[in-house]
Amino acid sequence: MKSTNTHRADRGCTSRRATSGLRGLLALGLAFGVAACDTDVVNPGPIAGDFLDSPDAQAAITNGAGRALGDAMNWISYTSASVAREIHPSGSTGSFGITPEQQRGELNNDEVNTHWENVHRARFMVEDGLDRIDQLEAGEQDDEVLAQLYLWGGYTYRLAGESLCEAVIDGGSAQDHGVFFTRAIELFDQAASLGTGDVRTAAVAGRASVKVWQGDWAGALADAGSVPDDFSYVMPYYDIGDDNQGNRLYIAAKSEPYKAHSQWSTWVEGYGMSEDTPDGDPRVPYTITGTVGDASTSCCGEVPFNPQTKYENDDAAIELSSGPEMRLLEAENALFNDSDMATAVAIINELRADAGVDPIAPASMTEAQMMFLREHAIEQWLEARRLPALWRWNEAGVPLETLLQPLEQVGDGNIQTGSHLQERDFCFPISEGEEQTNPNVG
Amino acid sequence: MALAFAVGLFLVGAPLQAQQTGTVTGNVNDAQSGAILPSVQVYLVGSGLGTLTNNNGRYLIVNVPAGSYTLRAERLGYATQDMQIEVTGGGTVTQDFSLESEALGLDEIVVTGTAGAARRREVGNTISQVDVADLPDNPTNVDGLLQARIPGMSVMQSSGNAGGGAKIRLRGNVSVAQSNQPLIYIDGVRMRSDAFHKNVPPTGYPGRSGNDVASPLNNINPDDIARIEVIKGAAATTLYGTEAAAGVIQIFTKRGHQGQARWNASIEQGFQRLQKFGVDPGLRPSSEAAETSAGGTSDYVFINPWLRDAYQQKYSLSVSGGGDALQYFVSGSYSDDEGVLPNDQQTTSTVRGNFTFSPLENLQLQWNTSYTNDEFFNTAAGNNAHGLTLNVFRRDANYRGSEAREDIDPLLGQTISTQIDHLITGGTATWTPRTNFTNRLSIGYDLAQQNNRNLRPFGFALAQNGILSDGRSEFETLTFDYVGTLSFDLTGSIGSALSFGGQSVTTETQQTVAYGEDFPGPGDPTVTTAGTKLGFELRERVVNAGFFAQNVFDISDKYFITVGGRVDGNSAFGEDFGLQFYPKVSGSWVVSDESFWSMDGSQLKLRAAWGESGRAPGAFDAVQTYDGVGWGGVPAFFPRVLGNADLGPERTAEWEMGFDGSFLDNRLSLDFTYYNQTTSEALFAVRQAPSTGFIDVNGGNSQLENVGEINNQGIEIAANYQVIQGREWSWDIGTSISTNQSEAGLPEEVANISVGGNGWIIDGEPVPVIRGFKVMNPDAIADPDIQPDQIYGPNAPTQIIGVHSSLTMPGGILLSVRGEYQGGHYVTQGVAINAIGRSVIWPGCYEAYAIAGTDVSQGPLSATDPGYDQLTASQRARCNPNLAEGEFWAEPADFFKLRQVTLQFPVPEAWIPGTAGANLTLSGQNLWRWTNDEWTHYDPEMGGNSDNNAISRDGVSNGDFLVTSISEHIPVPATFTVALRVNF
Repeated sequence: MKSTNTHRADRGCTSRRATSGLRGLLALGLAFGVAACDTDVVNPGPIAGDFLDSPDAQAAITNGAGRALGDAMNWISYTSASVAREIHPSGSTGSFGITPEQQRGELNNDEVNTHWENVHRARFMVEDGLDRIDQLEAGEQDDEVLAQLYLWGGYTYRLAGESLCEAVIDGGSAQDHGVFFTRAIELFDQAASLGTGDVRTAAVAGRASVKVWQGDWAGALADAGSVPDDFSYVMPYYDIGDDNQGNRLYIAAKSEPYKAHSQWSTWVEGYGMSEDTPDGDPRVPYTITGTVGDASTSCCGEVPFNPQTKYENDDAAIELSSGPEMRLLEAENALFNDSDMATAVAIINELRADAGVDPIAPASMTEAQMMFLREHAIEQWLEARRLPALWRWNEAGVPLETLLQPLEQVGDGNIQTGSHLQERDFCFPISEGEEQTNPNVG
Repeated sequence: MALAFAVGLFLVGAPLQAQQTGTVTGNVNDAQSGAILPSVQVYLVGSGLGTLTNNNGRYLIVNVPAGSYTLRAERLGYATQDMQIEVTGGGTVTQDFSLESEALGLDEIVVTGTAGAARRREVGNTISQVDVADLPDNPTNVDGLLQARIPGMSVMQSSGNAGGGAKIRLRGNVSVAQSNQPLIYIDGVRMRSDAFHKNVPPTGYPGRSGNDVASPLNNINPDDIARIEVIKGAAATTLYGTEAAAGVIQIFTKRGHQGQARWNASIEQGFQRLQKFGVDPGLRPSSEAAETSAGGTSDYVFINPWLRDAYQQKYSLSVSGGGDALQYFVSGSYSDDEGVLPNDQQTTSTVRGNFTFSPLENLQLQWNTSYTNDEFFNTAAGNNAHGLTLNVFRRDANYRGSEAREDIDPLLGQTISTQIDHLITGGTATWTPRTNFTNRLSIGYDLAQQNNRNLRPFGFALAQNGILSDGRSEFETLTFDYVGTLSFDLTGSIGSALSFGGQSVTTETQQTVAYGEDFPGPGDPTVTTAGTKLGFELRERVVNAGFFAQNVFDISDKYFITVGGRVDGNSAFGEDFGLQFYPKVSGSWVVSDESFWSMDGSQLKLRAAWGESGRAPGAFDAVQTYDGVGWGGVPAFFPRVLGNADLGPERTAEWEMGFDGSFLDNRLSLDFTYYNQTTSEALFAVRQAPSTGFIDVNGGNSQLENVGEINNQGIEIAANYQVIQGREWSWDIGTSISTNQSEAGLPEEVANISVGGNGWIIDGEPVPVIRGFKVMNPDAIADPDIQPDQIYGPNAPTQIIGVHSSLTMPGGILLSVRGEYQGGHYVTQGVAINAIGRSVIWPGCYEAYAIAGTDVSQGPLSATDPGYDQLTASQRARCNPNLAEGEFWAEPADFFKLRQVTLQFPVPEAWIPGTAGANLTLSGQNLWRWTNDEWTHYDPEMGGNSDNNAISRDGVSNGDFLVTSISEHIPVPATFTVALRVNF
């Protein structure tokens, strides 16, 4: 791999030599000048764009798309967890922190630039990579690698559709975020068609989750049904000394130095498994440190630092699709579309049994829906999926104000009386940077 | 080693000729004032014998063969004087000189804006020169030497960290994407001008550092410098070509002289002390304790328990002399300075050898070499969660959860050490085959090697398993420079001097960094012993080459017209971009040489100049590239630079006009210049719509494009007046005044550009301008009316006024004072919002807390506080954590600083037997500061130098190097020194 900036000044030197009228007098200067004209430079390091058209570049293109998706998920899972109240802010507002506005539940356009950019970089990496691989000669394509690229693409567009309020493609105008889902389905289809094994199953599971957004419950259930209960497909993160490749939710509460979020005053506190609640639900574990966060919070001053322990290292993976997710999708359909409480409760209790926690026994449909929403929160805790789910249910008219647990609700800002959230945005708006640079949305 | 060095100096300093026949001695003084004149070169023409006057104005030439001689006395700023003398065997000739000062020095040789050298009268540009030999004080580095001396130049020391370098600007910012640091030439050799690499690990948060950068300029020993010429603006820097738009600093070091060896030795001792920069504790609310548990008080923003009076020491020795064929100047110095922060320490050693060899009558060879070893340690500071300053300023809402000393002290366990070895060597051959034809060929090599070691050891409070980064950087600059000058008469009264030549400058930067974390246990680790290891490498080479030609038409030695130009190629230009041509034209008219001039004792030169210069893009900016970023150990591509085949340099065109005059019997000198410069095809990192997705690993999505304009205009005035001229008493006063009004021009399709620190590049606004949320009803007793995107004002000073005065008293006692005002600009107190947003009880809000009746033991200002309704809208916006935005802390940053006060006593030769005079100097620097009433705390000059290198070289983004914003640093401390300088 070689690059890069090779530029010439030869032409001008030649003309200067030809026009010089002081040849004899300037002999010394010109001799020196010939050497000085050589401005050809090859600098190592960066890789010329053309190289990515090589068949040998397919794997690195696909890995780049995967890393880009991981970056996007890293930011969105963290910030959305705060707004969805999966975590409570406990300090830092800058690096690895939660801004005061986000602490209040606001996703404002001047504070979502990185989230927006990361999603679109991931999208670009997929589309640019596919364009390049499409141009390869027959036989040069690596189907396994290509299937993986399609899969990353599907998840990328799912993340975009689930998280961004509006869709903007390549500097175009704003569209309904549903266009992301349309593209996600296309890419999941390709991945399912070309891929094998886990890649194929993940594509089917991902497609199922997107079809729910599209209202295609039949299609969703058909896909979900082919995903085994114990299936899990994850986005990997790495502990290699590069924070960008590590799990951001973990690093932000790693105490080196950030202690930016806690489970204090969330629904997890007292329900999940911790030193104080050893019999709590092991799917939502946290720890009691006896210390406070790394800075005062605007709502509550210094708050106890009791961070999650679902992710226990930089390299903790975040789940993209799973069997339990599919089962909950089936339960949701039974409960909300078919009013079939028994089926839904049976599915939920099977999941709870697998986790070793007590079954639920709702006395009413409303209570069952409450328990379903909590179960969803448990299963997809800190996976960048909770805030989108709240958005989808809110759009569908699900009465969140009655079904969500009190500490997951929007409150009056007073932590003494409930949630400190004063409002809640459900999605990431078009970023300030996009508005400033894209005349079609500005 | 020190002994060997001293022995070497003595050997070099041994007399080249030992014949003893006669002695010539005498004193030299100023003809007007009678003041003694040191550093006057006195020599016997054609004999190879001579010397310099000592600090008492006395000279002594021994071993003079009997005969008749012309004895000549020369010094910059004075007319040369010759005396005929007769030396007899065993006799002593006493010959005194009284030199006439030349306020304008129209026949002095300068290099400003010329090919080769020229007389001042020929030059159409303003000439700014510092004669270092004239300075009573002796600054510890070149940054300090330049401060408040040159109109149009700002030298901003950004923090009180050991080893920190200054941000230097000439006539404002000419670029928003490229470095605005002037080029530096030393004895004709180009040296690195941008800062050295910041000592920070290459991965993770980029502020785990002392967060300041060292300047190569400070690797030059100020004691070695004879004079500095500062070349401002494109009209003067045309012949320096691409890269010179931000100006040029030409440094000339001392050279040998004919005559016996002359030794100079100095010993300097002193200390630094940090002045108060916080809020008067008397303003604190009753619920706030007078001191923190660590003993910190608000007037130091609680950091005083960690400050110390920092001991400083410096020792210098030099010798100069020589004969007809060879002259030499050899020097060495050693300094060992503590910093006021507990881990700060800097040790610097320098050696220099300058040799001039004249093997033939028409050939002179000059070879100058210096080597500097600079080693410094820093305390972790700046916006660094692992740092001392941030955790102290954030009180108990810091990353230790405590402001107790025992919780903060462990942060001092990290080691941030930097070692720089800097060699600058260069030779110049000057061949004059005919009296009207000179050729000068220079070859220079600048090599700086930097070792950055940054260790948080195993068990470190905020990184338990330890982190180590060890980086090696190498910076090379290779210069080839040829200039020939052919002089001839076109007619009887019109002369012509044609200069022509070429220059090639190759800069190469290499950096390798080894990074490791997770060590197995305590001990002194290497990266090899880390559990996780990473490696990083950078290699970057840029070649710039060009030819230039210039002709000076001299009409009756009164009217001068200079036309010239330079053609440049640069390896960083885009593929579709050819050579660049930069033209220039200038003229000067020595009005006072006209027959109608009737003002005796005065001189006047009118001048005007126009020219262009440029600034090249970075090595990788033109080509579309991707990065190999890796992903968990497998290869992965990420976007890097979008690429722009049309990319070329930005061009700065400037015209300036003014006059140099001396009036009132040369007692008043006055220079005036108006300049107007426009950078067209300016390189802006144009943000692309993020939805296009070409975004690099650092989040940058910009591409350098030649769009828009930057205009700077203003005036520069330098005035000096000799109020009293007498042998016993003399008193000089002077001022330099400069203004700078800048304006950005952006095409409609280019979005406003954020440059960090609330700074923006916006069409029609200053470069940069502070913009953001603003309280529209600041003084109203009401809730704030907050509006977005409001303009505060320029971030760079629009007015700089320097004042200086020196008073000579009987006995040669000299009192010198120098101060500087900068103003008209706004600076954001980032440190305040960083704390208030985290609900820190902040001294800057004491007044608001007191009015609101805030019980700070329970938390910061709240809308429920009993007196909240009595607060102004501004107080509510600034101090209520739920409302606070950084821009609310943008404050008018006008300040005046007493830069230097020096008291110098000549020590009689008899007091130190065997010497030829000595001086005792008491000096204080940065002794006092005045700020605008609206300025709340910290120092308006600090901040903005966490990395003064342009970071846009990859087309990533515009760098925060452009913006001054107050970060979690301490200001530059006051320095008090006493120095004894001895000649023998």
